[in-house]
Amino acid sequence: MTPHVQHNLPAEPNRFVGRDRDVAELTALVHDERVVTLCGVGGIGKTRLSLRVAATALPGFADGVWLVQLARLDDPGLVLREMTGVLGVREEGPGRLLDGLRARLSGARTLILLDNCEHLVESCAELVAGLIADCPQLRFLLTSREPLRIPGELVWRVPPLDLPDERHPDAESVLLFVERAAAAGARAVTGGTAGVTRLCRALDGLPLALELAAARTSVLDPGRIADRIDDRLGDRFRLLTTGDRTAHARQRTLLATVEWSHDLLQEGERVLLRRLSVFAGRFDLDLAEQVCAGPGLRQGDVLDLLSGLVDKSLVLHHGGGGRYHLLETIRHYAAGRLRESGEEPMLRRRHLRVVCAEMERCYEGGSLERRLPWPERAVHFARGRALLGDCQSAVDWAVESGAAELGLRLARAALAILAVRGDLRESVGWHERLLRLDLSDVPADVVAVAKGALAYALETRDELARAAELIEESIEEQRRHPYTHWLGVTYSVALTVFFRLGRGDTALRHLRELEEATAEHDDLFNMATARIARLNLALFQGQPRQARRIGEEALALARESGHHWTLARVLTHLGTVAEASGDLEAAMRHHTAALPLLEELDNLVELARCRALAARVAALRHDFPAARSNVAAGLALSRKAGSRGGVVRALVTLSVLAQAEGDLDGAVLAAAAAGALRESIGQHDVPARTQELLSSARDKLGEGRVALLWATGAQQDPAAVAGRILDQATLPPAAAAGAAVRELRHVTLTPREREIAVLLTRGLSNRACAAELVISPATVARHVANIMEKLGLTSRAQIAVWAAEHERENPSS
Amino acid sequence: MVDSGTGLCLTERQLDERSAAATVQLRRRGVRAGDTVLICLGVGPDLLVATDAVIAAGGIVWPIPPELDAPRLRERMLASCARLMISDLPHALEAAKESRVRLVVSVADLRAYPAGREISTESDRAGP
Repeated sequence: MTPHVQHNLPAEPNRFVGRDRDVAELTALVHDERVVTLCGVGGIGKTRLSLRVAATALPGFADGVWLVQLARLDDPGLVLREMTGVLGVREEGPGRLLDGLRARLSGARTLILLDNCEHLVESCAELVAGLIADCPQLRFLLTSREPLRIPGELVWRVPPLDLPDERHPDAESVLLFVERAAAAGARAVTGGTAGVTRLCRALDGLPLALELAAARTSVLDPGRIADRIDDRLGDRFRLLTTGDRTAHARQRTLLATVEWSHDLLQEGERVLLRRLSVFAGRFDLDLAEQVCAGPGLRQGDVLDLLSGLVDKSLVLHHGGGGRYHLLETIRHYAAGRLRESGEEPMLRRRHLRVVCAEMERCYEGGSLERRLPWPERAVHFARGRALLGDCQSAVDWAVESGAAELGLRLARAALAILAVRGDLRESVGWHERLLRLDLSDVPADVVAVAKGALAYALETRDELARAAELIEESIEEQRRHPYTHWLGVTYSVALTVFFRLGRGDTALRHLRELEEATAEHDDLFNMATARIARLNLALFQGQPRQARRIGEEALALARESGHHWTLARVLTHLGTVAEASGDLEAAMRHHTAALPLLEELDNLVELARCRALAARVAALRHDFPAARSNVAAGLALSRKAGSRGGVVRALVTLSVLAQAEGDLDGAVLAAAAAGALRESIGQHDVPARTQELLSSARDKLGEGRVALLWATGAQQDPAAVAGRILDQATLPPAAAAGAAVRELRHVTLTPREREIAVLLTRGLSNRACAAELVISPATVARHVANIMEKLGLTSRAQIAVWAAEHERENPSS
Repeated sequence: MVDSGTGLCLTERQLDERSAAATVQLRRRGVRAGDTVLICLGVGPDLLVATDAVIAAGGIVWPIPPELDAPRLRERMLASCARLMISDLPHALEAAKESRVRLVVSVADLRAYPAGREISTESDRAGP
């Protein structure tokens, strides 16, 4: 049975050749060492080797292996965001991202692979050093041209592939070249020929250079390629001083090979390659056509040219989804050519325009269509999510070039995608930067919607005062224009903000405005939202029957619109209403129906909340196994998202569960742990339920015992408290498998090793042992090393202690 | 032994103890029987410990005098095909960049550490 480990490692595009021993050793090292940095020049194969090692090391990391690619980030401040984005950690409030990441990783046996750290060494160093100090089980594997230079870092220098010589004609470099040449359709290329040997040596065994050369062997003979590369190196670098000549030999060889490969391209391919460098990540043909076609490149030619670049190994193609990407070294080179050509502003402007238009199409299809079956909607959300990386760089360009209107329209469309996923933190930064630009040419309604969008994100981060200010401005302006879906969204944000600020009258006014506007314009999405607000109000006023009636209207609206997010939100609210009316069966049914919808939307925050609600209902129904599995799943999700608010909710639910099971001790412990965590995130009020629990516990257990339990629970690790309650009954099979039995290490020393161990108890030196046993001192030293390795000891003195004890216990052996 | 330069002494017991610990460190970093290990250290107790440790790990010692100039250092390092080098010297670390050396182990790395403590590596010192 292979344990299933979560990871986001991409499938390998072709066969991995060579470096067997390196992979094996590194796989062992990433388990033992906190931080392993693979260092070396571009094109030497750091990324590929790191991916291979990460994939091989998977079974040792129960809590996942995560690849975080940093090449495309140019702002050091974004490293943390990128990492939390990959790990699915959601921001709970301003500046809380790192806390969330720590919460997620503390105690987790996780490997994080940070690829291409060189341009962000300082911020990587700070982040990695901080995390390894806080998270003992966490391991890092990094690729970088420069080490981080932090304590505990093991610098592993990636060498080129082995070169062929007389004794080893089939060296790694030859194997790679022949493999790739065959894949490129060159039949006649075999190892062992003088041409191949010469080429591998000319290319210094650099994997990327070998791949580029191999892609051309169907046209050019390896020996001829070797000549061209040599000529090129001679021409270009003859004048370089001898001082650092060798130090940069590998970079020069690689650059010469990339240039050579580039110069062999036809003009159209060259134009396309440099223009492709504007994409932040993967792109498909459609995007490439829209962004890259233009002067010097006809749209109809893009497919052929792109295929040509794939054949020449300059662009990588990922089958299935029809997505492409550029290797970092190539992208860097192509970006240089783009700058030289003077086309960069034009291309980035077009990239911004195209990404904005694409994102708006996703928004219209996913959110704006009033009635659409979910599968058709879902396509737009999936596409929008895939474009988020490009949104980031497009917004960067909008800020840099002052293109405020396009930037704001893009940020607005992206908000719809991000909101459904329950994660708005990227949106805050985009809107804040864009709103600081000169907005005099931007239509007033676009600015107004942007202010509302920013308020939306700020509300989820509890920045209510700022949100309120923005929202007033936003609504006032939007009212002067024809109604849009965004005004509805802004109204609904407004009523949440003002209710939370205790300004009920203002909130109610906005609710009425929302109801009138949405009904008039047949805006199903916002009509449902208005009903949910009414439902909450009715529930708050103690009218569950009224709440249920409104909820059912909302459900009908959600079904009619076909929007699963709306449907999921309505269902969880209906579940709450049913619970309040005492209909636990219906409550369970509603929550259970919402779960798969939220899972599909990848909305971790709402999914965790829904799990907790379902767990509470199950506990009240005395269906303890269902309560356990739901609360455990919710807790795991909140930890994954780094959401301490979610952990609080899970602890409260656990308290309810323990109380329902008659475990008052556990109930008080969990409530205390929840209270302590709640205080640490700045919520100081004690919920009514806790007070009721405490007074009933005092009656049954006595004042002193409750005080003791409260103090204990408040100090304990939430995970330990949760574990205590979750482990009360038999564990589900998955959890039992997780608590793997530690394998006992059976130590068997050879008779000779035992003899030496015993001699060490007498304090003999290697030389004295050697004399005693009539062997050489070097042999004694080797035996000593073997004993240490077998017993996991680090000094001769420890061997002596071990042997003395062992002799006492097993005098005969 | 006594180091003629510094007057530092290393007793036989210390030598046995330190080289045993160093052997464990080398094996942790992948040194196996038959591997060539570069040692680029000045004459002294550390050189003796490193040499004994490599032999005890089953490795082949390939010493390089640190006084050599850069091109000759590079040449000898490249010729060794070693995967690991023991050295503290910045110019040796620089020269190793063109070789097949994967790991550079310092004298401090060779000392045994209590279990769980971080090991330091070249990155601690190799400042610009």
